[in-house]
Amino acid sequence: MVDAPPELTEEQQKELEKKLKSLSPEELRQLQKQQCIFCQIISGKIPSKKIYEDPSCLAILDINPATKGHLLLLPKEHYAIMPQVPQKELGHLFSVSKVLSRLQLRALHVSGTNIFIANGVAAGQRAQHFLLHLLPRKEGDGLLPVKDTLIDASLPEKVKAAVQDRLAQLIGTKKVVASKKNEERSMESSENEMQTNVAKAKKRRSGAPARKKKVGKISLEENAEREDGGAAADPAAVLDEIAELFK
Amino acid sequence: MGCELCGILAGEGKAVIIHEDDRAVIAVRDHVLTPGQITIFPREHAPILEMVSEDVLGHCAALAKAVSVAVFEGLGAKGTNILVRNGLGAGQNIPHFGIEVIPRQDNDGLNLQWEPKQLPEDELDRTFVLFKDEFAALQGQKEKPGAEETEETNPEEIKLRKTLPEEKMKEKEKTNYLLKSVKRIP
Repeated sequence: MVDAPPELTEEQQKELEKKLKSLSPEELRQLQKQQCIFCQIISGKIPSKKIYEDPSCLAILDINPATKGHLLLLPKEHYAIMPQVPQKELGHLFSVSKVLSRLQLRALHVSGTNIFIANGVAAGQRAQHFLLHLLPRKEGDGLLPVKDTLIDASLPEKVKAAVQDRLAQLIGTKKVVASKKNEERSMESSENEMQTNVAKAKKRRSGAPARKKKVGKISLEENAEREDGGAAADPAAVLDEIAELFK
Repeated sequence: MGCELCGILAGEGKAVIIHEDDRAVIAVRDHVLTPGQITIFPREHAPILEMVSEDVLGHCAALAKAVSVAVFEGLGAKGTNILVRNGLGAGQNIPHFGIEVIPRQDNDGLNLQWEPKQLPEDELDRTFVLFKDEFAALQGQKEKPGAEETEETNPEEIKLRKTLPEEKMKEKEKTNYLLKSVKRIP
């Protein structure tokens, strides 16, 4: 797959992780950008077969495709994972996907398309640049062998209980809060959080720049103490507090 | 009628709604790829991606992003996959567009990888030309009855073709394809 970065040796990998942990999210993003093969494709340093391009995104043919006509849709800005992508840009990427999906259906006479995104290594993400895989599909092609199975009837409620507070907070801010700034702040903070998560820097309590920043930012007006207080060690309390703020 | 997602809205089945607003719904279905999977879908019944309006699609994407963040924290997911199954060939089994957020753990047994293919250079060129010509056709710049003929076209030439803003192509040639797609859906 074209989005696999060059393999590192174990040692290099360890060294890299160590370095990454000492960086702030912003520095981390800069570093990733410099090393990112897709940023070089976007800037034209590496040639590619461009199918669609506009000021904010680029769609290219995957040179090692899963199947004929496999497209990669990239935001031109470097993001590692979806939670970092600003809402408007993400919406635009889906709009473009819709057009490209139609293009695939018509040009290749296939009977379906998948939009597929992998966030994180556990999800099979190999590129360090957030991207959408657009896969032309035919019945029986064996790609993405997914099968829905019936789960324990009590599970949906459990899932709901586990995510609903955070979700209400993330979504609720959009509707209730009049100021756009607050919304951005809230999304930004979760982005920071996610970024640190991915960089595996989250455990590093002492630094924890993203967590601190978030606490500082959000509760600025309410409770300045929180910034250097015990809040960083108790994310649940912080989340509750934020949820309160936006009610 | 018979649409699982519309059924969820009507309160049928074992699925649970986490959030709903005037445009979209977030629900946990009882049939999933992996536990913790959450589905985002437009409130209004739309079988495939192509029938979802820009506004609703953007909203669904935003909700998918929020869900993706929430499962990292709420379910301790190590990663997420976002999947749209559009059309029978793509494994779509509900006739209602949806975005699935699939929480992932290390070694969770789910295999969503594929074998990257090594293609001869000219194969890629041919696909490139095929797309470029279809793109032009979608924009109404020209009509080519046989896309296959274009395989002889010099790709360098094609590259020079200007691409128009996507807005222009959105409006064109919708009907035929859409009708065809709708018929394909179970």
